[in-house]
Amino acid sequence: MVLTNWLNQRFTDGEPEIEVSAGTVRQLIAELDGRFPGIGAELEGGMAVAIDGEIFPDPFLEPIRADSEVFFLPPLEGG
Amino acid sequence: MRYEAPRAIEEAVALLADAEGDAHVLAGGTDLLVLLRAGLVTPALVVDIKHIEEMCEIAQADGGFRIGAAVTGAEFGEHAELKRAWPGVVEAMELVGSTQIQGRATAGGNLCNASPAADCVPAMIAAGATCTIAGPAGRREMAVEDIATGPGETVLGKGEIVVDFLLPPRPPRSADAYLRLIPRTEMDIAVVGAGVNLTLDDDGLCKDARVALCAIAPRVLRVAEVADALIGSAIDDAALELAAAAARAACQPIDDKRGTVEYRTKIAGVLVRRAALIAKQRAGNGS
Amino acid sequence: MDIEAPSYKWVGTRPVRPDGIDKVTGRAMFGADFSLPDMLTGKILRSPHPHARLVSIDVSKAAALRGVKAVATAADIPEIPVDNAFVGDAPTNFRHWSSNVLAREKVLYDGHAVAAVAATSPAIADAALALIEVDYEVLPHVIDVKDAMRDDAPVLHDDLFTAGVEPKPDKPSNVAKRVEFTLGNTEAGFAEADVVVERAFRTKAVHQGYIEPHAVIANTAEDGQSQVWCPSQGHFMIRAACAKLLGIEISQFRVFPAEIGGGFGGKINPYLEPVALLLSRKSGRPVKMVMTRAEVFRATGPTSGAALTVKIGALKDGRIAAAEATLTFEAGAFPGSPVGAGCMTGFAPYDITNVKIVGYDVVSNRPKCCAYRAPGAPIAAYGIESVLDEIAQRLDLDPIDFRLKNAAKEGTKAAYGPQFGKIGCIETLTAAKDHPHYGAPLGPNQGRGVAAGFWFNFAGQASAAVNVNEDGTAIVTYGNPDIGGTRASMAQIAAEVLGIDYDKIRPIVADTSSIGFNDITAGSKTTFTAGLAVHEAAKDVVGQLRERAAKMWDISVDAVVWENGVARPASSNAGDFDPLALADIAAMAGKTGGPISGHASLAATGAGPTFAAHICDVEVDQDTGRITVVRYTAVQDAGRAIHPSYVEGQMQGGVVQGIGWALNEEYIYGSDGRLQNPGFLDYRIPVASDLPMIDTVIVEVPNPNHPYGVRGVGEVPIVPPMAAVTNAVASATGVRMTELPMSPPRLLAALENGS
Ligand SMILES: Cc1cc2nc3c(=O)[nH]c(=O)nc-3n(C[C@H](O)[C@H](O)[C@H](O)COP(=O)(O)OP(=O)(O)OC[C@H]3O[C@@H](n4cnc5c(N)ncnc54)[C@H](O)[C@@H]3O)c2cc1C
Repeated sequence: MVLTNWLNQRFTDGEPEIEVSAGTVRQLIAELDGRFPGIGAELEGGMAVAIDGEIFPDPFLEPIRADSEVFFLPPLEGG
Repeated sequence: MRYEAPRAIEEAVALLADAEGDAHVLAGGTDLLVLLRAGLVTPALVVDIKHIEEMCEIAQADGGFRIGAAVTGAEFGEHAELKRAWPGVVEAMELVGSTQIQGRATAGGNLCNASPAADCVPAMIAAGATCTIAGPAGRREMAVEDIATGPGETVLGKGEIVVDFLLPPRPPRSADAYLRLIPRTEMDIAVVGAGVNLTLDDDGLCKDARVALCAIAPRVLRVAEVADALIGSAIDDAALELAAAAARAACQPIDDKRGTVEYRTKIAGVLVRRAALIAKQRAGNGS
Repeated sequence: MDIEAPSYKWVGTRPVRPDGIDKVTGRAMFGADFSLPDMLTGKILRSPHPHARLVSIDVSKAAALRGVKAVATAADIPEIPVDNAFVGDAPTNFRHWSSNVLAREKVLYDGHAVAAVAATSPAIADAALALIEVDYEVLPHVIDVKDAMRDDAPVLHDDLFTAGVEPKPDKPSNVAKRVEFTLGNTEAGFAEADVVVERAFRTKAVHQGYIEPHAVIANTAEDGQSQVWCPSQGHFMIRAACAKLLGIEISQFRVFPAEIGGGFGGKINPYLEPVALLLSRKSGRPVKMVMTRAEVFRATGPTSGAALTVKIGALKDGRIAAAEATLTFEAGAFPGSPVGAGCMTGFAPYDITNVKIVGYDVVSNRPKCCAYRAPGAPIAAYGIESVLDEIAQRLDLDPIDFRLKNAAKEGTKAAYGPQFGKIGCIETLTAAKDHPHYGAPLGPNQGRGVAAGFWFNFAGQASAAVNVNEDGTAIVTYGNPDIGGTRASMAQIAAEVLGIDYDKIRPIVADTSSIGFNDITAGSKTTFTAGLAVHEAAKDVVGQLRERAAKMWDISVDAVVWENGVARPASSNAGDFDPLALADIAAMAGKTGGPISGHASLAATGAGPTFAAHICDVEVDQDTGRITVVRYTAVQDAGRAIHPSYVEGQMQGGVVQGIGWALNEEYIYGSDGRLQNPGFLDYRIPVASDLPMIDTVIVEVPNPNHPYGVRGVGEVPIVPPMAAVTNAVASATGVRMTELPMSPPRLLAALENGS
């Protein structure tokens, strides 16, 4: 699980990479919010997610495997 | 808005002279309709001159050409003799707009619209063209260079229209050329334009020259100093550099979205040099 | 997903598009072509000021004018609280959209809509606009992105605090957001580098330049049901926007897609549609609105202008040691520039261990920027690919070899974090290197440049239906506006699955009430996403055809196979029956269970990213600074081209727009904050005679997430051109242009300074 810079500064003492066990993006966000209160609102409020390299612009139930790498990214828009 | 399409010049003149409120001549409409649509003019009367035969013809007269003011760019391009005698005038008129615009745009409209960047006008001035003006008081003839007085301003009085252009007879070994700079290849307004008309003597020296520039002053300018730099020379590098310097010195352009003072001034020199070389080559080829 | 073996009958062929003849004969109905009886003309009053407080708007005189049937201002639409809802490709701030459609409290740019009228004639509508009295308290304005970031700059929004910085700022500013991506340690990387190049660049705001202006007609009946006809990049998006902005239920109205004359990202946002709908609901009559070209330029469109710095270090052997970039993007009047995508795409073609990218989203008194083909990516690529070119030159390396040495491949960690799956970056660069253009001799004053580009490509939601007709033909219904020839691709996909001929299939783009929800035609997603829905719906039909054949033969459905457009017994054990063609089964549909109709609604994922490599030759007139593009070759990975001609068309179109961006296109503002060139005369997109034929090479590295291997193709071709042209100019002149556009006066000045 990797967080962009300002999120890790605000919530995780600057630690960008965090180990979390979760089966879906929804569970991941809930788990993180439990550990770093407030982060859930930021992550749900319009960040895209990359799971093992694939980007999901509006994630919720996307499955995460035990060894998956998850990135939170700024929202993206196509033309 | 009233629309009239008279068949005779006198009729057109009468309509315009008697009009109350804003009256406009309509030739191709490629300037007028743009202004109309933008709400910049609100005419009470529009007089379409394209139905007046005399104004839509090109004729050879007195060794030169009489070109009706309502002749279109496309018609200039299709006239083989005119093209042979006045390649610069024709290429200038053919630069106006695009294929569609060429089917409508006229030399008379280009002149009377009085844009400082009108393409056909410097070529006409360099050619030494005059035009016939018809008005309530009859007809008069004037040099093309004296028609426009400033952006959008002409000497034409109420009821006056330009009827035709007269191009003088061609001496041997003479030719003209017109070049303009635009950022694209068409559908653009000249950043600078230069018309050069030359006559060579038997030794290939420049016997006579007329040069005019557009988009470097509030109206299209004939620049005698550029011509003087060429006359008597073999149109070699030295003469061309003098001519270019004279062109730069004549520039009094503005800074706007289409070009800076500095850029326009430099380009005037470049175009004069290039146009003079083309005219020299055409004249030398015995046209 | 297994990729089907590439022995296709229709995929990869070039049939004529179903909408083609109507479009070339002028019969196709674009936005402004619709008319209804009793129709009113709607017009918008726009702010002449770049920044002003709306003290009061008095519409009473206008409303009283004979022939005026409705007048509207922001007071007629609900004030929306801060609200980010996900529509289209990204979260959307409807409060901002609302204020953009009709200004509330302040006008924020020259051309900002202030009020609207509907009247019985255009002349009366104009007269009514002139009667609206607006009391503006003019405020200081700021246009340039760098000026907007200064401490003393006029602040556009009192409630805008820079997001993404810690601690949270204590006062509002024009900097809406900061984003950062880091990988490894750039300081250490630069310390190792043998050559380091750092440069600053500027680009200007440019418009999408679609030929068709925004247009809409809305009609409302006595029962409150409305209908809207308009061109857009997504009629479901227009529906969502109108519902949200006007506070009406989606079941209250229906949006019909007109043919669209270009969008390129610029026809995603709502402008006229909610206003026309509002005026129609107020007047109870049809209201038609069509923007003038000047309105299109002043109030819609552009993508960001930008300031960027790029620093790249490389080792002698050509490995990139470290890379940094700072991108500062104009958002226009409201936050939301594509700076995030700019940050993520610029270094994506390369495998770099140490990267740091910072982006700023900055508001100023310009129209609210909106998406433009691969939003953000061309700007980042311009700076980054220019610096890479300079490094290759310094290291005396071939520019394509240098890029190949660092090229991303499957498993590479992208500069923005995640690892790539199967991608075609190396294949694309290699195809460019092998192209005859790359080795062709150059003439005097000519130069050659190359550049690469990356785009994510998006997927999304789509719905499709395939209805089999009684005579064995079929209708394919989907819900994405056809901008680039997708009707043809949808018909090809259905023909491939059903095994019937392309011309037996009629594809239809349905309105919002005739098919399930669909995302926008944007993000290079339609052939991928809608194509998957059509593929699934056609497979649904095949299942039904097998069932019907089984009933006709009175055998089990498992004993029936569908091959080449006919049902056959799976083996001789199943029985000895003559094959049944689709038409045979269709004729019996009424007797075997009713209409044969396949459906699919899905949320697609796995749009494969794509790469492009472009080669550009220019000739420079050294005396005037005029640049002529004399040859251009675009190479691109399409995954699998369903219809190669339309892929090539996308590539050529993207290149042309990129060349315009590089050479002459720019928004020019006066010191009064007004746009000086709101028309195609002085906003110079390239004309046909400016351009050589754009050569195209389609590379196919199939996307493993799609049955045919499709990747999006519409956006990446606009990514490399600005850098390719700039690099070619550098090669022709020795001068590296760090400011776009490279219009003749700018280039001549640079040539004379030798900078
Ligand atoms: C897309 C486009 C591209 C263009 N490109 C160029 C270009 O490259 N170069 C260039 O120089 N111009 C260009 N123009 C401007 C225009 O096409 C030319 O000035 C053209 O020559 C005008 O001719 P017209 O017959 O259409 O004039 P009109 O619009 O009919 O008339 C122009 C003005 O002259 C008056 N007028 C016309 N004829 C007469 C007459 N005989 N007597 C008295 N008054 C008269 C009219 O009342 C009006 O005020 C372009 C215009 C457009 C729309």
